[in-house]
Amino acid sequence: MEIIEKIKTNKSIDNQTEIQKICLDKLRSRPLPNPKSEQWRLANKSKFSNFLDYPVNEKNPKFDTPFPNTSKSTIRLVIGNNCQINLIEKNYSIQQLTQDELDKYIKSQIFCFDQNENWSDLLNLSLSNAKNILGLKINGSKIPPIEIFSHSSGNSLNAKTLVIFLEKNCDVELLQVNLGKENSSLSQLTYFCLEENSSLNHGVVSYGENRSNLLNSLKVIQQKNSEYNLGSLHFKFDYARFEISIKQSDGYAKTNIKGMQVTKKDEQISTYTKIEFNGPNGFLDQINKSLADDESHAIFEGSIIVPKIAQKTDASQLSRNLLLSNLAQIDTKPQLEIIADDVKCKHGATISQLNEDELFYMRSRGITLPEASKLQLSSYFQEIISFIPISKDRWDLLDKLLNEK
Amino acid sequence: MVKENLVKDVVKEPYKYGFVTDIETEKIAKGLNENIIKLISQKKEEPKYLLDFRLNAFKKWQKMKEPDWAGLGYKQIDYQDIIYYSAPKQKEKISSLDEVDPKLLETFDKLGIPLTEQKKLTNVAVDAVFDSVSIATTFREELAEHGVIFCSISEAVKNHSDLIEKYLGTVVPASDNYFAALNSAVFSDGSFVYIPKGVTCPMDLSSYFRINSGDSGQFERTLIIAEESSSVSYLEGCTAPMFDTNTLHAAVVELIALDDASIKYSTVQNWYAGDEEGIGGIFNFVTKRGKCLGKRSKISWSQVETGSAITWKYPSCLLLGEESVGEFYSVALTNNLQQADTGTKMIHIGPKTKSTIVSKGISAGNSINSYRGLVKMGTKAKGSRNYSQCDSMLIGDQASANTFPYIKSQQPNSEIEHEASTCRISEDQLFYLQSRGIEFEEAVSMMVSGFCRDVFNQLPMEFAAEADKLLALKLEGSVG
Repeated sequence: MEIIEKIKTNKSIDNQTEIQKICLDKLRSRPLPNPKSEQWRLANKSKFSNFLDYPVNEKNPKFDTPFPNTSKSTIRLVIGNNCQINLIEKNYSIQQLTQDELDKYIKSQIFCFDQNENWSDLLNLSLSNAKNILGLKINGSKIPPIEIFSHSSGNSLNAKTLVIFLEKNCDVELLQVNLGKENSSLSQLTYFCLEENSSLNHGVVSYGENRSNLLNSLKVIQQKNSEYNLGSLHFKFDYARFEISIKQSDGYAKTNIKGMQVTKKDEQISTYTKIEFNGPNGFLDQINKSLADDESHAIFEGSIIVPKIAQKTDASQLSRNLLLSNLAQIDTKPQLEIIADDVKCKHGATISQLNEDELFYMRSRGITLPEASKLQLSSYFQEIISFIPISKDRWDLLDKLLNEK
Repeated sequence: MVKENLVKDVVKEPYKYGFVTDIETEKIAKGLNENIIKLISQKKEEPKYLLDFRLNAFKKWQKMKEPDWAGLGYKQIDYQDIIYYSAPKQKEKISSLDEVDPKLLETFDKLGIPLTEQKKLTNVAVDAVFDSVSIATTFREELAEHGVIFCSISEAVKNHSDLIEKYLGTVVPASDNYFAALNSAVFSDGSFVYIPKGVTCPMDLSSYFRINSGDSGQFERTLIIAEESSSVSYLEGCTAPMFDTNTLHAAVVELIALDDASIKYSTVQNWYAGDEEGIGGIFNFVTKRGKCLGKRSKISWSQVETGSAITWKYPSCLLLGEESVGEFYSVALTNNLQQADTGTKMIHIGPKTKSTIVSKGISAGNSINSYRGLVKMGTKAKGSRNYSQCDSMLIGDQASANTFPYIKSQQPNSEIEHEASTCRISEDQLFYLQSRGIEFEEAVSMMVSGFCRDVFNQLPMEFAAEADKLLALKLEGSVG
């Protein structure tokens, strides 16, 4: 935990920005999250401390994407690679947020941070320098699809921050890709602010290599009549943690989430979601799938909070899990906190293995066992993958999931 | 107009069991220290192993911190301001019920618990506990004929010391949690049941707990042992007078089921819940746990929780034996400013174990009603299954209903299913019933009783009727 020691002694970062100073001050008083708190009690301690063992990366080496941009219409941005964008077209505009706008927004967020719940955010903002923060405001319609890459470089801890404002009536398809290099840590923090009537189809694909780590935090604020769709996939990380916080600030908004995490070997991947309805007539449909094989550990904790003001909320949350090996573990905790009385809320959770009857049926039709289980898995994955925008045409995620060792 | 009056009348109806029995009691000084524990142990003429058990628990308790994870809001309990032993004064030894203070018998009569010979009509044996001691146990001879031991735990310590020494604290160890440790240190009385091999207990056993004194806590301990192929159904009821102060109740219940044995444990908890402003009421911190040790053993918890200012209770099953079964059926109703955090833990250790959880929470007024449950499949729980269902009903827009299911699986060859939903009493259904000539209050109570049906079906007959009535009474006036 080299970085924590440095934070404690205030030797971590040169040329601190104001935001870094505020966050470092907060971290110094309690540098680590409380391991007994609900959000952190299941985190694997040695893996978590591995995450913090790398030195902070100050430079950004050239980034070669493993996925060449073949489609000309797609806008591709790489956080940290001097990326500048200022597009003003007939139908739409994508502009960089000014430093003032960025600072103001981030400061307003830090103000309501909770030490345990927002620890990953604090760490990210403490470490991420101006070069690694990308702020965009998007306006208009018929916007070409956008891809935003975050990546870590080997033997270092990398922090990247993304802030995106979607202005009124705007409709965007955006894929975020987090790539972890071997022996590295990536801390990614993403803010989305969806103004009235805007809609975002958001995909998150986090794809690691051996012994790579990820802390991925996603904060979404939805104003009236906005729609937010999230399809996410996390796999091949030694340790990954995906924290989602969505706030429907005035109700009348729609949220759809389909997420999946796949763990193998001794990996630990966890997803924490918190969805707050701060107004009436909110809608949520969430499904989270986990698959745990070998000696791995998959965790899902989802909470839905419906205060008194959020009447006529319709929320459902489903956690479906496949446990494929004797040494793997799954923890799941879908929770509801409800005060409003005129609401429809439900949640469900299942943990099981591949269906024996289906396997038997396929085998009796001449399909071998490995093929039959692949077929079953592919239908299990397909529901989530088909929900991730853009990727479905060009990246064969399914193939990666099924065939990579 | 008629409806409004009716609602007002009902709301005014006081807690039926809130009276205080004016009886001379023997109390020890307030406070908790080693000497107090030694004094309790001495009063009960306990053997040394039990005193050591208590002192050891006390030592552990001193090092523990009061749990705060349930997020219950209540003012700090001053553990030094509680009387840990309070007993009605009576003659040294009671050989028959006739020698029990008539005032005590009257109290239990008033509560609807028949103890006197002429009133023992129902086929239920009762162990009546008043503050810290058990005052009477009925039908003992009849039970003894079948080899069933049913007595207070203090008697059991004297007469069946070997069983107590062997089993006490094996399901809920002294250091299990803060309140269990406190109970282990100061427990005063409770019931002891032993069902010998092959015996089906000829009648339902029941214990009735009554807190009478306002400044003493109640710390009872129940131990039920069902030997191979035996079965028993056990009922538990609780009431307390109305005081402006909060009274602490920290009980421990341990159940042990050996091969093919089955234990059914039903509770109707109606401790005083405090008034509408949340003043007074019982703090109910209870640890209940059953161990299915034997193959094909079964432990079934059913509970109707309507009272207490604060309920903190998670009746659990440790499923060790192959093919053992755990069940949990619960209705928890909270009104006014009550807070209930209740649920269960089903820990599957042995192979082919099964568990079912059905929990119904109803919250009205400004109350908070949470389900908190754990289902865990251990690495050896091959072929195990769990099904959980937790439904909440919200009445009024000030009440809150929370669900916190913790699910953990380490065994791929097992299945866990959990579902939960939240609803309210729908206007349409109410309108439909009312248009069929059913009065408003009755319609509400019909719907609540329909909502709880899955659980009521699991209760013994006498209890089911009582529970239904209790819910109707508690809810009246809270809708509309």
